[in-house]
Parts: sequence; C-alpha cells; structure tokens
Amino acid sequence: MTAVQAVRQVFGFFGFLSRRTGKTRVFAILGLIPVVLAVVVRIVLHGRSGPMAAVFTDILMVFFLQFYIVILALFYGTSITAEEVENRTLSYLITRPIPKPAIVLGKFAAYSVLMFAMVAVSLALSYFIMNAARLSDPELYLTFLRYLGVLGLGILAYAAFFTFLGTILKRAIIVGLVFGFGWENVIQYFPGSTQRFSIVHYLKSLLPYHPTVGGGGGRGVALLLFRLEPTKPLVAVLALTVVTVALLALACWIFGMKEYLYEE
Amino acid sequence: MTAVIAAASLSKWYGNVLGLNDITLEIEDGITGLLGPNGAGKSTFMKLITGQMKPNIGTVTVRGRKVWNNPEVFQGIGFCPEQDVFYEDVTGWEFLTGLLRFYGYARTEIEDRASRALDIVDLTADKDRLIRGYSRGMRQRIKFAQAVAHDPGILILDEPLSGLDPLGKRKLIKLIKGFRDQGRTVLVSSHVLPEIEALTSRIVLIHQGKILAQGDIPYVRELIEAHPHQISVQSSDPRALAARFVGDRSIQKMTFGPDGRTLVVETHKRDEFFGRLTGVVLEAGIEVDEISSPDDNLQAVFEYLVGK
Repeated sequence: MTAVQAVRQVFGFFGFLSRRTGKTRVFAILGLIPVVLAVVVRIVLHGRSGPMAAVFTDILMVFFLQFYIVILALFYGTSITAEEVENRTLSYLITRPIPKPAIVLGKFAAYSVLMFAMVAVSLALSYFIMNAARLSDPELYLTFLRYLGVLGLGILAYAAFFTFLGTILKRAIIVGLVFGFGWENVIQYFPGSTQRFSIVHYLKSLLPYHPTVGGGGGRGVALLLFRLEPTKPLVAVLALTVVTVALLALACWIFGMKEYLYEE
Repeated sequence: MTAVIAAASLSKWYGNVLGLNDITLEIEDGITGLLGPNGAGKSTFMKLITGQMKPNIGTVTVRGRKVWNNPEVFQGIGFCPEQDVFYEDVTGWEFLTGLLRFYGYARTEIEDRASRALDIVDLTADKDRLIRGYSRGMRQRIKFAQAVAHDPGILILDEPLSGLDPLGKRKLIKLIKGFRDQGRTVLVSSHVLPEIEALTSRIVLIHQGKILAQGDIPYVRELIEAHPHQISVQSSDPRALAARFVGDRSIQKMTFGPDGRTLVVETHKRDEFFGRLTGVVLEAGIEVDEISSPDDNLQAVFEYLVGK
C-alpha cells in the first residue's frame, strides 16, 4: 500500500469514527449558537437591514474566528495523537502496515473535513438568516465564500498547530487553551509587527473589508478589524499555508520517532 | 529450525526503571508461552517485537527484518493487546472492517475477511452491536478477531485469556491451537501457568526483565516441585493434626497460626502431603474448615528461583 493510499484509508476510518463521537455532537450543537443569534437578530431587526445586519455579521464572525474554529481545532487537533494514547487504542494503529505519518495525516484530513462541515453549515445558516433581506445581492454570496475560505484556512492552520502540540505534549489541551484564547486574543491588539506572531492576524487580513484603524472607514464599527495592521492577502495566505504545512510535517516526524507510553 | 522472532541483547528502560535487561531469545514456529508475574517485562517484550517501542540496546527482528518503523513487517503479524480498550462507538463489524482497510484490500475482500474472523470467534450474530455493549468475553474475542482477520503468519497475544470465564478460555485455547496447527507462529503471554500449560509445552520464564529459564513444561514443573510450598490447614484441632505429621518425611516445617485454628505446613512434596492429609483427617475425625496454599502461584515460584 502506498503512503497516499494509507492516508486515504485512515481518513476513511476516522472520518466515519469521528461522526459517531459525543464530542462531535457537542460541537455541532455549539454551532447552533450563531444560528439562534441570527434568528433573534432578524426578529429584532424586522423591516430594517443594511448596516445593522453587517454589524451583527461582524459579531458572528468574531464567534467563528475567535472561538468556534479555535475550540474545534483545539479539541480535534490535540486529539489526533493524544486520544489514541489516552484511550490506549494506539496499539491497533501502529501494528498495521501503514507508515506512522499516514495516521497523523489521515486523521488530520478526516477531522478537518468534519470541522469544516460543521463550520460551513453553521455559517451558512446564520449568515443567510442574518442577511435575508439581501438574498438577491450577488456580493452577499461572494462575501460568504470569502468568509468560508478564511475560516477553512483558519481550521487548517489551528488544527496543524494543535496537532503538533498533541504529538509533543501530554497535556496539550491546557497549553492549547492558553495559546488559542490567551496569546491569540492578546497579541492581535499589539501595534506593529508583533501581531504577525499569531494565526488570527493573517486570517483577519483576509476578511472582506478593511476600514482604517479606529473605525473611520466604510463600515463604522469593525469589531474584528480593530487595531489590525493587515498583511497583504497573498502574503497572509502564504503565511497560513507555510504554518500549516510546516507544523504538520513536524507533527508527522515527531509521531514517527517518538514512543508513546500508556499511563499505568 | 530458523527463528521467526529474534531478540539479541535486548534492553529497555523507562527513565530509571529497567523494563527488560539484556534479553537474547529466539522464537520458532508453533506456540511459545511467555510466562511471568505482573510487571515481569512480558508486555514490554511484546511491545518491542511489535514495534510499539524502540529498544534502548540490542535488536529485534521478525523473519530477519527490523520491526521499529518498518510497517511492511506488520502485513504478517497479528497483535492482540492486553488492554481491554476499543473504539467503543462502533460495532464489531465496523471495528474489523475499519482495521482491515489498513492492509490495502478491496472492499469485498475486507468484508469476506471480517465475516470469516467473526465466524471464527463466534460473534457473527453480534456483529452489528456496539462494542460498548459487548460482554468481557465478547470483547476478548473481537480483540482476537482483529489480530487474525488478515491471516497473519505470526500471532502475538498479550494475556489473551485474562478475564475470560472457563468456557471462554477453552474456546480461545482451541482457536489458538488451531492456528498452531496451520503452521503459524504464536507467542502468548500469561502470568498463569495452567493457562500456558493448556496451550503449549514450550515456555520462556521472564522475571524482573530477565529470562529466568526457557524450556518445556516438565522442566518448569521440576523447578516448581523443588520450590517449598506453604499449605495452610484450618481445622478444629490443629495440634492433633500436627502430631500426626511429626516424623513425616514430606514435611519440612510446621507452625501454628495466631488464630489457634490454623496449621501452616511447608513441604517440597505437595501431592504426597495432600495424599496423607485426607487419610489423617478421616482417621482422627478432625473437622477441616479450609485448606489454602498462599504461595501456590507463579510469583512464589519466581521468587524461589531468583533466591529471595
């Protein structure tokens, strides 16, 4: 079996398994929060649209970008190796004729698809409910696709980072929480190039509108873009791709070399 | 005969704790029992020969090929882990077909193999139940099924009989012997001598990370016979009982327990003592409440062998 076939088989097995777990049910329910919020906002804004809808779309994106994809990537990414060690099921995988990196890559791909599906469903429902008054506007769909693309890149970058953490640390989730909800939140408000040391900076640099700092630009309020000193979109995509590929490669290498001992 | 599994000067430690100490061993076709008390190093050895761990010193090969980070070697190895762990949210069928995917078989072959494996372990009727709902015996059997489903030439079974009821043990022993009869190599670990005895006469005794002895069962039996057994007899009149045994050549030492009802006998000839005991008890009309042999286990034998 080639390495690519091995990745595909691991992807198939864990794609199936991941849909069965309680964790997936919990996170799918969590994805309903913005949908409910969108329904409430629609009812409150009944008869009005335009700027207010845009503001609430921003709020929704804060939820997706700074909470939902981070928490999803944290729990699924760290679990790629950690759950096999904690549940002691690793023996079933590493005594099969598949290279160890294929386990990491196959699970990463399976979990990424699952996370993306959860995010896409939640975003689509909440976004189109929120902007129901503009459904005939083609720009609405382009913006939606752009949001979805940004969240997709975010899922990959965060999941790669947390996968890497999971391969090197026993309690990766704690370090992941500090990174995802501490570092990533704080550093983006730092001025200058410091904010480039976060994943969220590059994701925000890819968002549709870039008002001038301080909120003087086109949208009046821009929660997501507050203090952002954006990187050019192409550079941002490149940076996110490099982060994803490099961290995944490191995770695969470490997983291949490291012995994982079960706790007695 | 050529060695199927070969370990040369194999050592493994966990931090400051020595798991295996300079083990050189060759395992041939047929069933080999790896026998030792808990913590002896059996599982460490099995993890090394299944590539789950890397030796600190020494080498381990399977059919002449290194094991660590060599996935091709697992095409011919079936491993049944000791731990009672599974992907709990899948059915027995999904568990087997899922793991069979990793061998590169086509879908129909995966299904054929899974069906055969389920049939071998008598789980066909329960294949669509979640593993979470399986009994302990069923879980042991599905674990065995995943080890044999790809038809490996080498089976490595870590404590496969633990937790099974007598009937379940008998079934599994029959299955393992069936694999031996097909010319495969089976390595089974256990800390219970009679379990290994029921499977094979070829055993390796392991203790504190070292091979203590290897050979056939009669040899180990001899070692056990040489080991002085303690037998505790609780009766209505331990002193009268002791008086009857004074001068008996099978007895080495007799002491009385603190409860005043127990006679503790130390003997090299356990069977001879038990033979005499029945007659004495009947003759003297002594009421016996309980007979136990506190050190009639492998741990005691091992301690005796290592001179504790």
